[in-house]
Amino acid sequence: MTATAGRFVGQSVLRREDARLLTGRGRYVDDVMLPGMLHCAFVRSDIARGTVTRLDVAAACALDGVVAVLTAADLNAHAGSMQPTLLLNANGAPLRPLAERDVRFVGDPIALVVAQSRYLAEDAAELVEVEIEPLPAIVDVERAVDAPDRVHPELGSNVGDDVPFPRSEALEAALRDSPLVVTETFRQHRQTNVPMETRGIVAAYDPASAELHAWMSTQNPHEARLAISRVTGLPANRIRVTARDVGGGFGQKFFTFRDELTVALAARRLGRTLKWIEDRRENLIAANHARVDVATCTLALDDDGRLLGAYVDHLEDAGAYPTGGMGGAGALVGMLFTGPYKVPQAAFRSRAVFTNTCARGAYRGPWMFETVAREQMADVAARAVGLDPLEWRRRNVVRAGDLPYTLPSGMPLDNVTAAETLEQAAEIIGYDAFRVEQRRVFESEGRLLGIGLGLYVEPTSMGAMDPLGTDTAIVRVAPTGEVTVALGTGSHGQGIETTMAQVVAEELGVDIDDVVVVQGDTASTPFGRGTGGSGTAVIAGSACRAASEAVRAKVVEIAAHLMEAAPGDLEIVDGVVSVKGTPARSVPWKEVARIAHLDTARLPAGMAPGLEATASYQAPPITWSNACHACTVEVDRTTGLVRVLRYVVSEDCGVMINPMVVEGQIAGGVVQGLGGTLLEHVVYDADGNPLTTTFMDYLVPTATEVPEIEYGHIETPSPTPGGHKGMGEGGAIGSPPCIFNAVADALALVGARIDRTPLGPDAILTALDTAGA
Amino acid sequence: MKPAGFAYHAPDDLDHALDLLAELGDDAKVLAGGQSLVPILALRLARFDHLVDLNRIGVLRGVERADGALVVRAMTRQRAMERVDDVPLLARATPLIGHFQIRNRGTVGGSLAHADPASEYPAVALALDADLELASRRGRRSVPASEFFQSTWTTTADPDEVLVAARFPRWEGRAGFAVEEVARRHGDFALAGAVCAYEPGARAAIALFGVAPTAVRAPAAEKAMLAGVPADEVAHEAVRDLQPADDVHASSATRVRLARAVVRRAVTGAREEAGA
Amino acid sequence: MSSQHDIVVSVNGERRHARVDARVTLADFVREQCGLTGTHLGCEHGVCGACTVLVDGDAVRSCLLFAVQADGAEVTTVEGIGGPDGALSPVQEAFRAEHGLQCGFCTPGFVVTVTALLAENPAPSDAEIREALSGNICRCTGYQGIVRAVRRAAGTSA
Repeated sequence: MTATAGRFVGQSVLRREDARLLTGRGRYVDDVMLPGMLHCAFVRSDIARGTVTRLDVAAACALDGVVAVLTAADLNAHAGSMQPTLLLNANGAPLRPLAERDVRFVGDPIALVVAQSRYLAEDAAELVEVEIEPLPAIVDVERAVDAPDRVHPELGSNVGDDVPFPRSEALEAALRDSPLVVTETFRQHRQTNVPMETRGIVAAYDPASAELHAWMSTQNPHEARLAISRVTGLPANRIRVTARDVGGGFGQKFFTFRDELTVALAARRLGRTLKWIEDRRENLIAANHARVDVATCTLALDDDGRLLGAYVDHLEDAGAYPTGGMGGAGALVGMLFTGPYKVPQAAFRSRAVFTNTCARGAYRGPWMFETVAREQMADVAARAVGLDPLEWRRRNVVRAGDLPYTLPSGMPLDNVTAAETLEQAAEIIGYDAFRVEQRRVFESEGRLLGIGLGLYVEPTSMGAMDPLGTDTAIVRVAPTGEVTVALGTGSHGQGIETTMAQVVAEELGVDIDDVVVVQGDTASTPFGRGTGGSGTAVIAGSACRAASEAVRAKVVEIAAHLMEAAPGDLEIVDGVVSVKGTPARSVPWKEVARIAHLDTARLPAGMAPGLEATASYQAPPITWSNACHACTVEVDRTTGLVRVLRYVVSEDCGVMINPMVVEGQIAGGVVQGLGGTLLEHVVYDADGNPLTTTFMDYLVPTATEVPEIEYGHIETPSPTPGGHKGMGEGGAIGSPPCIFNAVADALALVGARIDRTPLGPDAILTALDTAGA
Repeated sequence: MKPAGFAYHAPDDLDHALDLLAELGDDAKVLAGGQSLVPILALRLARFDHLVDLNRIGVLRGVERADGALVVRAMTRQRAMERVDDVPLLARATPLIGHFQIRNRGTVGGSLAHADPASEYPAVALALDADLELASRRGRRSVPASEFFQSTWTTTADPDEVLVAARFPRWEGRAGFAVEEVARRHGDFALAGAVCAYEPGARAAIALFGVAPTAVRAPAAEKAMLAGVPADEVAHEAVRDLQPADDVHASSATRVRLARAVVRRAVTGAREEAGA
Repeated sequence: MSSQHDIVVSVNGERRHARVDARVTLADFVREQCGLTGTHLGCEHGVCGACTVLVDGDAVRSCLLFAVQADGAEVTTVEGIGGPDGALSPVQEAFRAEHGLQCGFCTPGFVVTVTALLAENPAPSDAEIREALSGNICRCTGYQGIVRAVRRAAGTSA
């Protein structure tokens, strides 16, 4: 329960999704089995860059049970734009269903086999004869910047995006003349989202009605519908996208990529129902990658360690076909780099670069490298000045009295509690006591323990980016009084059927069991922003509130008319509308609903029958949330293995709708960050061949690798209707630098240093060796 | 990821299985627990026209004690080894194999015959000088562990032979045992592992896994251990000639260091248990 | 290509006669031929545990068994864990109470694994719980709610 807990909002209401999911009665895309359905398998390039010299599908076509083997010649000319979204441009990386004359990454789709079963489709895929003349692959992002070879010959450069925010004269002076100037280059390594459910689509095209129904594993049914419309040429009102249950996404399924769109196009062309379920090897090679970032950071400090200026030169690897713009968040990294610290001036350069690797796509906090670089740099600065990292942060953090604070990039920071979370995290983890213990253990046993912090502010629910900043809700009351809420969201683990029911039930004054949320289906919901970008609580939630308010107002008006009372004197509690203080004067909600539909003569004069409302909410440009992560680790000097001992998150996401859900979201993000820092690594060889193509090589954390996470909650309401803030991505933002800093702190005991991830045994042992430890 | 097609055979007696293998030769593969083979088939890293499933052959299951040895018939599930008191190396190595769901199906014989360089049972077999019993239509033969493991996923069994049992000598008297390994996550293949069996003044056995194409004994280190040399130096001796491969999980240098650490721990542990 | 076989399998207590291709996995069989789509495919190479079912009472990865191998066996899928009327088992109740699931895709595998664990070890220590869970991957929960759920379910049944 939270300080502002209402009847439902603020309560850890158990989820109504759970009953079906626990009993195996969820409906994921692979569970959709339709009569006459055919199965697809892609033939993909196993060369990172090269010219296709031969493509022969005759043997594959001849296999019993194979219906078609489609190539670029069959499909590409019929494809409209394959941009996954019009929201963000990809700066021209050409998107086609299937590779034509050349391939640009291992996994590039070359042919699509359609057969009676996936087993047969894979048999046929092996019979497709492909010859590719290899060319030198561009795999390293730093070398790609100036490489003479082009990932995309159509474009003039491998640099897809270059956002400079030039240094002012004052900044130049600060970087030159300050008492202390520290520079460090940090690298983050390639990771991937790994939702437990891979991507998939069942696209059913009926030529007779010229309608296409696509079941998809998507976070964004309405955007998917638009994308399918663009590529197939079918009008949107003849396309339906359904996503009932989606097995995770973390950004991978926010935009619809080439593969699903190619299957939809093929269904249209063949007039059939086609199913494509990505297998795990494809998912690790060809879905999307993320987190390949490198930045050289410079901080200028005074003698007390206070920031005088900052500069970051950032490079991100966009892969060959980045999704959703350049895949990462480019300029946002530079703009947020200074984070929750007071800096008089800062500047940056941010470039996104193509390489012959898998697409960079959105992964939980796509811009989070700003926190990685800054928080890791903070510890470097602290050590340079001779301060404890906690003390350095205390000296520089933006405090309540500094708000609103305009970041050097111009972004206005407000309603955040960075300083408070810093203190709360330090207190919960017992920071000072740990320092004593750390020293004792090192001196008596030579063991390396370390403590790390990760402090950040997160821009959530960004209202400025249409259509991501707006959501619409329909609240509809049946003649029998039950409430249906229709949302254009794409829940994939966030419990939207529960949390939005909490909001609506609270607003209306009815029992939560009488509220059902419908979402994940374009036919029965208003156009919406999907689920992602930490926006549901604020944006969908506020739309729900607005629609609920309108319905409530009508209910009250009807009840007031029936009871001859003043609307202002009425309240709705537990499904009963009554005069405040006089419970005997009441009318049940269900009765009002009945009258509104079936006994309309009793409505106030001039009132339209029915009981429903549609309302939209556009969020403010940014709703900031914030958190401080703190953790302790032990670094094993013999094996190089790192064990996380304790993990604390002190977070402020405003008014929590469901604290249980909030903690669940944080936990998932934290463990993804833990995996990303210590275990997970997508590896390419120098020729662009992926080496980590199964779960035996791409290692995600299991229950034995994670600590019990401890939480502290601060609730500073946002200036949005419910006072909520977004928080779904934060766990994955703060954790990598927090763990990195803890490891660095441990290694510092013996003078060893690290500057990149992953922190597996090789990296740790090398660092120890270099320090002679 | 669906496997390529195959003809499936499920004989319920050993002779029938051996007949099939003799007739089908290289086109056939034996299916035991399937925990290693089926992923290989699903990934289409290998394919076979015929699979001969041994799971219905009763005589290939069970353990018995005979002549100071524990005879484990090949199709005995790995989980059964968790409760085997009289061969501590088997009982201690087993919980390190993957996860309990894998051990519910995986077999002792299957693991030995698959001969993954990073698996535990081959090292246990080597350390204890186990004998592997092979059967074919041509007859039976017993191969000492030291001659069984040839290279990565390769044994000296002939294509028409089936491993039917493994004979693990039991060590009577005052002895100590240890199994140590380092892995990135619980249940993963070891980056380096060591098993040690030690009878003070009598014999010492050290076998390493995860650091060479097969599990390997460390004879020089064993001599040193018997001679009372400190564990650290024994370990140094054990890894002297190792040249493990680099891979995405660890470099060769890291594996050598880890090997040294696990040998040191195993030697120390075995000595302690032996009361030495 | 593949040989075909007639099998008789008891699935959640119901005897089923079926004809299967040798290479069809038990996972695909229960999903497609039995219509029990609760068992999920997360990797198809035996690592993630989403496909876990009970075969003759033992928790196994159904993606690593061929359906033909289940001839004569008793298979229990997640659909067979709770009551026929949809009532949740103590393990399922515990997962719900402790928010041990978010997207739900890995959940059936965990439910079956935990059911098997507690049948064998009704009062596991924390270390035993984590070790028993280490063969199932979850990407949403960070395992926090899952571990709590197992503790709770163990408390209920103990």
